[in-house]
Amino acid sequence: MPTGEFLGFLNLSWQAVVMLIIGGILVWLGIAKKVEPVLLVPIGFGCILANIPLGGAVEEGGFLAVLREAGIHTEIFPLLIFIAIGAMIDFEPFLQRPYTILLGAAAQFGIFGTFFLAYLLGDGWLHVLDFSLQDAASIGIIGSADGPTSIYVATILQSKYTAAIVVAAYSYMAMVPIIQPPIIKAMCSKEERALKMSSAVGTISQRTKILFPIITVLVVGLLAPKATPLIGCLMFGNLLRECGVVERLSLAAQNELANIVTILLGITVGGMMSGTEFLRPETILVFILGIVAFSLDTVAGVLLGKLMYVLSGRKVNPMIGACGISAFPMSSRVVQKLGLEANPYNHLLMHAAGANVAGQIASVVAGGVMLMLVPMFI
Amino acid sequence: MLNALWIVLLGMAIIFAVLGILLAVMILLGKLLRPRKKEEKKG
Repeated sequence: MPTGEFLGFLNLSWQAVVMLIIGGILVWLGIAKKVEPVLLVPIGFGCILANIPLGGAVEEGGFLAVLREAGIHTEIFPLLIFIAIGAMIDFEPFLQRPYTILLGAAAQFGIFGTFFLAYLLGDGWLHVLDFSLQDAASIGIIGSADGPTSIYVATILQSKYTAAIVVAAYSYMAMVPIIQPPIIKAMCSKEERALKMSSAVGTISQRTKILFPIITVLVVGLLAPKATPLIGCLMFGNLLRECGVVERLSLAAQNELANIVTILLGITVGGMMSGTEFLRPETILVFILGIVAFSLDTVAGVLLGKLMYVLSGRKVNPMIGACGISAFPMSSRVVQKLGLEANPYNHLLMHAAGANVAGQIASVVAGGVMLMLVPMFI
Repeated sequence: MLNALWIVLLGMAIIFAVLGILLAVMILLGKLLRPRKKEEKKG
């Protein structure tokens, strides 16, 4: 009897075993350590499903392959997630402090710095790794600290490392509280960290909140058209939230849509982690470069924060520059905590949140700019 | 390698330009649409 054809364990390769262990670890991290459980549990489980030999989940016609084709290759999942994110984000802290958008812009340097580094290691100079210009750009986009943007850009640029990039982007968001504090402490003195910022901010009218998503789409769409689908979905979700007449749709976007697409996206991303696709030396480099991207984001944001600190006559706490990274709300919490450590009366949360949601817009623009520039230089 | 350098320089320049324009528009909008006194009291 040809048992090898239907007994999965007889067809286990070492790659499949390693990936089954990795899938198990992701599920364990989510459940036992509560590390981004909403993402890591579906991703880990999808990884397990994808690596069961003869399971067929990721083969042509298998359900994970169908989901990948329908949701990732068409870019639908990241765009739907953006509608949900837009409906969940309150942009008021940013609208009260619009200058924080510049911190968001500076913090996107991590994307471009990492892109440059990856390209130097690959086809650009050293040829040590198999990184084309498109791969390098997709790896750099991990620095957007934004899972949907990473998926969107890596898919359109057809990177070979999409699965690793997406897993890195999502898992590093959970590691922001580990990556950012040492960099911020190294760059800001205790005196700077203890600086209190004025809590007197203007009130934002309802009309401004409604016009903001529409104006943002027009400005960004007309200047960086490749970012239109991403910024369009983000701002559409926000318009549902702020317009005040479609509460049902806003709640559906924040809850049902967010939950359903997170489940489908998570399990599909996990399904992309098949051993043969995932286990190569470049994957490890993708993860290392992901840390570089997050670190460069933080450094660039804090540097502009320090410039604002000087130019404003010490009214801006330079730490809030670190929140230009769009890892919302983890980054804001990190800065709030560091501020309180340096001065127990220093509450920076709303200032940090302003920079953080500004970083969300900036990362989407950065994704669009990358999509616009890379094809021009291939 | 020069291509990549151009992408870095142009990329950062475009991001600052786009977001700088957005900032200018938002500041203008904030000045034009100051909340009415009633709305302020509510807020």
